[in-house]
Amino acid sequence: MIRELELSEESLLTDEFLRQLINIGEVDIVVGLSTHNNARTIRPVVAAIQAGILKCFPRERVAIINADGGSQDDTIEQVQNASIDDLRRDSKVYALRTLHSISVQYGRIPDSGKALHTIFAGADLLRAKACVLISPETTTIEPDWLQRLARPAYYDNFDLVCPIYQRHRYEGALVRDLLYPMTRSMYGSRIREPYGSEFAISGRLAADYLSNGIMDQDWGRMGPEISITILALTGKYRVCQSFLGAKPPSSRGGHDMVAAMRRTVGALFASLDANFPCWSAVTESQPVPTLGTVTAHPQEALRINRKRLLDLFADGVTQLDPVLSSILSPSVLSDIRGIAALGIDEFDYPAELWTRTVFEFAASYHKSTINRDHIIQALIPLYRGRSLTFVIENRDGSEQDIERREESLCADFERLKPFLLEIWAERK
Amino acid sequence: MAVNAEATWYQHAIIYQVHVRTFSDANDDGIGDFAGLAQRLDYLQELGVNAIWLMPFFPSPLRDDGYDISDYKSVHPSYGTLEDFKKFLSTAHERGIRVIIEMVLNHTSDQHPWFHESRSSRDNPKRDWYVWSDSDSKYSGTRIIFVDTEMSNWAWDPISKSYYWHRFFSHQPDLNYDNPAVREEMWQVMKFWLELGIDGFRLDAVPYLIEREGTSCENLPETHAIIRDLRKRVDEQFPGVMLLAEANQWPADLRPYFGDGDEFHMAFHFPLMPRMFMGVRLEDRKPITEILHQTPEIPAACQWCLFLRNHDELTLEMVTDVERDYMYDIYARDKAMRLNLGIRRRLAPLLDNDRRRIELMNGMLMSMPGTPIIYYGDEIGMGDNIYLGDRNGVRTPMQWSGGWNGGFSAADPERLYSPPILNPVYGYQAVNVLSQKRSLHSLLSWMRHIIEIRRSNPVFGSGSIEFLYPANHRILAYVRQLGKETVLVVNNLSSAAQAVELDLRRYKGHILIEMFGRNIFPRIGDLPYLLTMGPYQFYWFRLRRI
Amino acid sequence: MREIIVNELTQAFQQMARDIAHYLPRLVVMLIIVLIGWVIAYLLKLLVRSLLRLTKFAKLSENAGAAQLLHQAALPSSTELASRFIFWIAWIGFVLLGVSVLGIAGLQEYISRFFFFLPRLFAACVIFFFGLVAASFFSRAVLLTAVNANFRSSRMFSVAIRLIIVIFALSMAFEVLGIAEQTMLVAFATVFGAAMLGLAIAFGLGGQDLARKFLEKKFTRQNREEREDELSPL
Repeated sequence: MIRELELSEESLLTDEFLRQLINIGEVDIVVGLSTHNNARTIRPVVAAIQAGILKCFPRERVAIINADGGSQDDTIEQVQNASIDDLRRDSKVYALRTLHSISVQYGRIPDSGKALHTIFAGADLLRAKACVLISPETTTIEPDWLQRLARPAYYDNFDLVCPIYQRHRYEGALVRDLLYPMTRSMYGSRIREPYGSEFAISGRLAADYLSNGIMDQDWGRMGPEISITILALTGKYRVCQSFLGAKPPSSRGGHDMVAAMRRTVGALFASLDANFPCWSAVTESQPVPTLGTVTAHPQEALRINRKRLLDLFADGVTQLDPVLSSILSPSVLSDIRGIAALGIDEFDYPAELWTRTVFEFAASYHKSTINRDHIIQALIPLYRGRSLTFVIENRDGSEQDIERREESLCADFERLKPFLLEIWAERK
Repeated sequence: MAVNAEATWYQHAIIYQVHVRTFSDANDDGIGDFAGLAQRLDYLQELGVNAIWLMPFFPSPLRDDGYDISDYKSVHPSYGTLEDFKKFLSTAHERGIRVIIEMVLNHTSDQHPWFHESRSSRDNPKRDWYVWSDSDSKYSGTRIIFVDTEMSNWAWDPISKSYYWHRFFSHQPDLNYDNPAVREEMWQVMKFWLELGIDGFRLDAVPYLIEREGTSCENLPETHAIIRDLRKRVDEQFPGVMLLAEANQWPADLRPYFGDGDEFHMAFHFPLMPRMFMGVRLEDRKPITEILHQTPEIPAACQWCLFLRNHDELTLEMVTDVERDYMYDIYARDKAMRLNLGIRRRLAPLLDNDRRRIELMNGMLMSMPGTPIIYYGDEIGMGDNIYLGDRNGVRTPMQWSGGWNGGFSAADPERLYSPPILNPVYGYQAVNVLSQKRSLHSLLSWMRHIIEIRRSNPVFGSGSIEFLYPANHRILAYVRQLGKETVLVVNNLSSAAQAVELDLRRYKGHILIEMFGRNIFPRIGDLPYLLTMGPYQFYWFRLRRI
Repeated sequence: MREIIVNELTQAFQQMARDIAHYLPRLVVMLIIVLIGWVIAYLLKLLVRSLLRLTKFAKLSENAGAAQLLHQAALPSSTELASRFIFWIAWIGFVLLGVSVLGIAGLQEYISRFFFFLPRLFAACVIFFFGLVAASFFSRAVLLTAVNANFRSSRMFSVAIRLIIVIFALSMAFEVLGIAEQTMLVAFATVFGAAMLGLAIAFGLGGQDLARKFLEKKFTRQNREEREDELSPL
């Protein structure tokens, strides 16, 4: 097993990549970027990373490693231009040390698992104490983000630093109404963003992630990012979260929803199989150290077509009835049918029903009542219904109201956990 | 004179900087002297140096270690007589060692008779030999050099009831070079020593000769005019004599001091030195290559002077704030080590007495374009004593043996001008010339060897330099070339072993011959030349095509 | 005369007795074979039932949609049905084996044809079964994809896919069985080709607007109103 892992690790390290790593030598911090045709957004991101390194870590040895999935534009060139060395004498940027910014193509099609694996392998070989991952699309990034993520891992020996974003009240429904409460109730840690596009891990956690074969398991393959969080929560690792700033809205569209569901909810459900002894013993959640202060997000006006959300939900329930009946219990399905018939003014997908829905989906996933990927896809229309309730409930509330609502939902998830354990063990 | 009177001898010199007081005491009064120095010339000849730079030995109240001169044409009685000096000079020349002396042009001691006269009355003929003012607001904005001790560049004189200008200590009033009489008198002073047979002057504090309102009072055109005049007179009357500028400036600001080959022959490259220390700690060649890229071309007959340490603090004036903070945190964690925007420590303590790093730094010193200066005692790895005040910690007695007073003097230890270094690591029992002479593998033996290689290869003194930029930033590599002679220098600045691939395609077909052991290395081909290097290791390769 | 009749009758009875005596052992053997065959078939049924339960065949057939079909037809469960099927095939086989011992001319050929037919029957069943599985899987996949992509007629697409795959599997099964294979192939080709042609015409002519909207949605920016519905879930 170990030999196979070594070989599979080696296969991701091309000769050219290895040569570049040799030239970099040992570093203190690695900043990783996973890219694919991000020329439109990468420039400000790389500029902010460079500025963050020079401002916050001027003496530390830092390297930027870009794992690229076959970009056809000039993404790679833009990343490499962030290098600061004695050859670029016309640069206006002053740095105490050489800053290497290297790129490696791990394949012809994007694969976030391979990208992470490449970056972590590089960080491990360079013996980095901390590895910070930044999304190439986060154009709202500021130089200070680097410090907020890297400092706890580099100086304070945290193994995982998760982000906290400033969010619009309508954004992030999947995280706030499913991923966060589910992760919290299952694994007992109040990580608000278990799936963050920016995070930092220690060199120790990166090395463990590479060596314990999670990438070969379903949940590791489906959702590499969330699997890191789950690994940290189920192992003896120190976890914290750090406030960053505003998160830019990601690209919208139905096809994104399916992919997003697979790599978050799918991975989360799959992880429950592998980690049953761990999460089944957790009875309550604990807060994690939170660094920085949350500031209010300027709430620009957004036009939401609630009718459309309702239609998507109702149509989905109707059309997927035969599928849903293979997944849900008759009582839950009947309740869902009931709310699908409600009008927009009285619509409400109650928190408890939503919790039971999610748990029954998780149990069906565990038992593979139908194809597992179909189970995940079948959740999407129900999620749309819940996100409509999310929008309605958050529309008029203050920040405190929204926080209270979220806490209440999390309490429901934790309170109903025995229900999940019961249906988990049942034969279908 | 026994020495080679070649015009550009300074380009191939290895200069040894020494203070008479510190080197050897012949008359057992606890203070080094010229007789003692003369007795030690064999040692210097054996070491391989071919020039000595003497720090000020003139009569002086010694409030600034001799840079406050009270009589320009004599020798401080503690160091001997003028006759002793002449004997020493003659002995040095017989051994092929040239002698460079200090000349402090900018200021005198306030005990100098000239100043006594000048301050005595506003009507005194020498009143105008110094820079006087009724207020202290002239030339405002001029930086203070000794920031730790001086609050102003003006000092109040209670005798003449006016202010006098001083860029250094307040007891060192600046001479007024706008006065032709001053210029003429200083030329006569220089001529006095030139007629005795000295081979060069290190002109101290030259940027500050002239003051003008609304300027920084440094590097002014009038200053350069004075220097050109001095140079002209030297060339006409004493050909072969070298003028060395002491000007702590950025390379671009130093360039004018070479003029068109009609000002100084040499100038210290101050900004390079702290960057060498920085590069070794950062394990990154960037600070070194960047400052050398900013270094302008100089006339063919001119030369940079390179050094690692000297009698002053390791100056951090010519670095950025970020760099200075880094240097303080790394090299001077104890604040007692810091003085005047610098660090007052010797070479070996700065490098944690790490033999490999000491060799690496000396290797770079000997192979970079410029004339190297070795500060006395650094060839055996002497330590320092930061608690002696000012910069006296790096000016302790030379350690010749493990015996009485380290072999420096037979006087009572309490009588020595300065206590020797005593601790078990750097004390004279542990670090001394006698014990290192007995070992072929001592630092002293190694220094002799590298000096010998340096002297036997003119390419180091007057060759060109071309940097290679291997992707491994921990490797500093460059090629020196002079005619057909080509030398490749590769330095590993890292504390860990490194692999480096060098692009040597233009030297394809050459065989590398390592210059210390004279073993051959593989021929250069089409592929990048792979070298693996140990921690802080360096190579000098001669490239030969056979 | 009476003596002749008695003699003839006696001879006839004796002949009959001789014939019966001649065939009786074979009949006994046949009955023994049938009895043993019943036991073996029963044991086989139990074995197959256990194997199918172990391999969760019931779930597979449920996924295939076969379980629902059987339930609607008031038939036993798929595991039970399959094991009974195996029982009957096995016992009929033993019965035929027993009959062949009787040595009745003309029957041998039909008996050997039966045994040659069995593997093809098994292959056809397997093909049809997995065809059902594939139909169920792909129809559900199409349904989910269409629903999540907000297609209006998701069910229609799903049912159409299921039908096509089932018909395809059925025609393959008949081809393997060798029953009216040409007829089935031609019928399938005709139906499939007609369906595709119909879809092409319908999509091309009747669905011009839909096609245009689909392409616009795919290759041009969506209008602001549509984009604002779906907020960033992450």
